[in-house]
Amino acid sequence: MIAQLRKLVLGETWTLPLGVAITLLAGLALDAAGPDWWHRAGGFILLGGALATLAASLRRR
Amino acid sequence: MTAFFLTLAGAALAVGLELLEALAIVLAVAAERGRRDALIGAAGAVALLALVGFVVGPVVLARIPLEPLQVVIGVALLLFGLEWLRKGVLRLAGRRAPSSALAEYLEEREVLHALDPPPPGRPDWPARIVAGKGVLLEGLEVVLIVAALGAGEEGLAPALAGAAVAVVAVIAIGIVVHRPLARLPESHLKYAVGVVLSAFGVFFLAEGLGVEWPGGDAALLYLAAALVAASQLQVTGLAREAPA
Repeated sequence: MIAQLRKLVLGETWTLPLGVAITLLAGLALDAAGPDWWHRAGGFILLGGALATLAASLRRR
Repeated sequence: MTAFFLTLAGAALAVGLELLEALAIVLAVAAERGRRDALIGAAGAVALLALVGFVVGPVVLARIPLEPLQVVIGVALLLFGLEWLRKGVLRLAGRRAPSSALAEYLEEREVLHALDPPPPGRPDWPARIVAGKGVLLEGLEVVLIVAALGAGEEGLAPALAGAAVAVVAVIAIGIVVHRPLARLPESHLKYAVGVVLSAFGVFFLAEGLGVEWPGGDAALLYLAAALVAASQLQVTGLAREAPA
């Protein structure tokens, strides 16, 4: 049951939670650093992080 | 309006597909071990889920300020969405068995058939536990997805409306089961849910981190388009690598 709950929340591979965590940390760091472009274009950085995470999770099965 | 309709569609699809899987398990228990024990197990799980929904929604999410909440919801939706999308890409590329509630129904029946029934007049606890566990695990994802989608600016209304549409559709399928279950393009629908949840995940996470999306809510459309384009490239690449 615990293993199924872990799979439900974190998924079948550690690559996804790891990739999402790296994307989040990068976003938090850039938000804190506050470069001008972040508020206009930061979303595309996060989208890139999500796409890279997906690609990595598909390579490591 | 874009966010409203995408929330409604995303919630309806996600909830519908999860409920379909739960329904397959409950129907399998009912067919193999009796309707009463299947319904008792399912009802117990629904009561637990109502409690979880209350704790997650009005108690926890309602107390978090908007921006941190958007970050939390964005991360949760990304975790769910990218997992659905990953599995969807693998299924569409032929690298994973297609999703099928009908196959799950047949599998559960086989498992239950192998278990000894209880003596006459005694409660069938294995059957109740199988039905309850199935509903609990599938329902937990429903509660978390609806709560996450409902935490956006549009509020809970579109997410709950989508969930209600899904409940009606799944009950209708349950009444005339088998044929519609086999005909549903589940793998494609789950892929679509992955795209919608991931788009909302990126959208909320960015808003929580102070980003203003060009085009406002319409950003959800180009985020979804980018996710479709990138994941279809992965499907093509993996299908090409797949052994014949």
